[in-house]
Amino acid sequence: MKSYKILFIVFALVLIVSACGTSKTTSGGGEGSQDKKTLKVVTNAEYAPFEYMDKGNIKGFDLDFIKVVAKEAGYQINVVNTGWDPLFVEIKGKTADFGISAITINDERKQTYDFSTPYFLSTNEILVPDGSTIKGAADLKGKKVAVQNGTTGQEAVETILGKNSPDLKKFESTNLAIMELKGGGVDAVVADNTVVEEYVKNNPNEKVVLIKDDAAFEKEFYGLMFPKGSKLKADFDKAIKTVLENGEYAKIYQQWFKAAPDVSLLSE
Amino acid sequence: MDFRFDLISEYSSFFLKGTMLTIGLSIASILFGTILGLLIGLGKMMKNNFLAQPFAWYIVFFRGTPFLVQILLIHFAVVPLFLGKTNAIVAAILALSFCSAAYIAEIFRAGIQSIDRGQMEAARSLGMNHLQAMRYVILPQAFKRMIPPLGNEFIVLIKDSSLAALIAAPELMYWGRAMQGQYFRVWEPYLTAAVIYLLLTLSLSFLLTKLERRLATG
Amino acid sequence: MIKVRNLKKSFGHHEVLKNINVSVQPQEVVVVIGPSGSGKSTFLRCINLLETISDGHVYIEGIDLADKKTDINKVRTEVGMVFQQFNLFPHKTVIENIMLSPMKVRKVAAEQAREKGLALLRKVGLEDKADAYPDSLSGGQKQRVAIARALAMEPKIMLFDEPTSALDPEMVGEVLEVMKQLAKEGMTMVVVTHEMGFAREVGDRVIFMDGGFIVEENVPSELFENPKEERTISFLSKVL
Repeated sequence: MKSYKILFIVFALVLIVSACGTSKTTSGGGEGSQDKKTLKVVTNAEYAPFEYMDKGNIKGFDLDFIKVVAKEAGYQINVVNTGWDPLFVEIKGKTADFGISAITINDERKQTYDFSTPYFLSTNEILVPDGSTIKGAADLKGKKVAVQNGTTGQEAVETILGKNSPDLKKFESTNLAIMELKGGGVDAVVADNTVVEEYVKNNPNEKVVLIKDDAAFEKEFYGLMFPKGSKLKADFDKAIKTVLENGEYAKIYQQWFKAAPDVSLLSE
Repeated sequence: MDFRFDLISEYSSFFLKGTMLTIGLSIASILFGTILGLLIGLGKMMKNNFLAQPFAWYIVFFRGTPFLVQILLIHFAVVPLFLGKTNAIVAAILALSFCSAAYIAEIFRAGIQSIDRGQMEAARSLGMNHLQAMRYVILPQAFKRMIPPLGNEFIVLIKDSSLAALIAAPELMYWGRAMQGQYFRVWEPYLTAAVIYLLLTLSLSFLLTKLERRLATG
Repeated sequence: MIKVRNLKKSFGHHEVLKNINVSVQPQEVVVVIGPSGSGKSTFLRCINLLETISDGHVYIEGIDLADKKTDINKVRTEVGMVFQQFNLFPHKTVIENIMLSPMKVRKVAAEQAREKGLALLRKVGLEDKADAYPDSLSGGQKQRVAIARALAMEPKIMLFDEPTSALDPEMVGEVLEVMKQLAKEGMTMVVVTHEMGFAREVGDRVIFMDGGFIVEENVPSELFENPKEERTISFLSKVL
């Protein structure tokens, strides 16, 4: 078996090298070139209303937002739907210039990527069955909770239950997490308010209750995600600030969420 | 080269836990799937067409529909019906067993039908009933021929168990995805998971080759 | 001992046996000859119900095989059968082949079954092959083991379905020798064969079948020297 083990390590290394190798050969394009050519922006269009496919076209809040920001920064952009996992491969390998996909900024991710200044404050809500004893975030302790993997909801719950707690179930989508709640496998779902509110609106007959607890959950922000050391970050940070201040942001926000944003929270 | 071995070691206890559950799911499903597959295979071979039909349908259904859909159906619809609430581990074992049983049934049927008709006739002419002839004469010979295709099926089963991550059964791929979600790094979790799956499937092939050699006679 | 009355057998629309009537007395050796496709093997296989009976009756010691209530497994323990292709169990050794059925069906203890098996192997001259696997034996040896295996159930009747047809010529003798010995000991036997020498020497009676009918039956000397039917004459002229 010993020789087998060595074989595996070699095999794994070959895979890694080939994966990283592509980045070295194609990195010349995006970053660093100052000719203001069209930037490749990657997204995972499966998270309405931020980004989703509408009859073959990518639409959503993120799309409208990035169009305005890119114009402000003076770049042409081409948004490509790559799916979730490939999105990170493309950005890390620098085959894409940056990503926008309701991506939550956190310290662990900052080790590998650079994030723009926050452009969206995510509010999490707790979805529980009618008659549940859970009244706020503090009541989640000791309860089983479902979230979507890699979302702000997960971040929020992990601050309460602990990282990778056995009581936390991470699903591939918020829909599956809600189904788990209905199946009785968990006591609550924590997810983006926009997503769960959409669910409750579309399923008025479900006996579920939404609980807001902005005080208890730590604030989670979305940002554009760049390869580490990208020179584009500065340009886009500036453009985002401008768009936030000149009212264009509020216009797009109003259009998608029928409410006025609290822009001051984003500039903290 | 940018490969964060430190992240893997940070997640090593989760990968270990996940591997244990993957092994557990696989062993349980191989066991149940094999027994169920044998029964369904025998059922489909019944001479009475009317009785054999449901077994044929079973195979058509579980072979002909995506495993992804099966595991979701069993997790969200079937298990709550019996347990009153969802249970990812039970659902994963059921889905893997049910699905592999359909393939195993066909492997059994092919194995049994590959045995010369004269073997059954000789056994029956010696006064054995059908069950005795199956048990002492046909199945031992058929089983030897079934090992390579069964090995294939078991390896597919081990890898398919990674779909249990979808229903949040905390197996190997679940922790790989969790690590991906936390750090947004793709290669560290997935290559680690791949190497562990490779180790598991290689160990299984090794055991099956040994078994096959031991059963080789004459 | 065996009584066959108006036996008919069809495969689909093809009628293979058309009204067969035969009786076999205890200790009698009946040899069935005939061209291929004459139905002689099917006739033999009906006697232990390896082929279902389409119409008519087969009685073994008065038990009607056509009766659905008959426990065929019990009848088969009394009727041994030897096949053209031997059909030894390849995953078991020679002695295990012989011991299997006595142990599982007759519930004989392993020790006794082994003793009995070795005695039978001695009788067919293969005692030294007890622990060999069938694949390592020659055709003649395999067939002798198959005979020993059938005898281990202590049957009252032995059926032989072309037992030497799959053998190389030099091995035919050793198998016929065992069968001759068996006949001498008084076993009731029905033998389908192309070995005319055996039929003449060992048979008490020879049945000539053609086209699903029994065309002619007689003591060997009469049938071979003095065939009465046209088809018998024509067949014998080709094989003798």
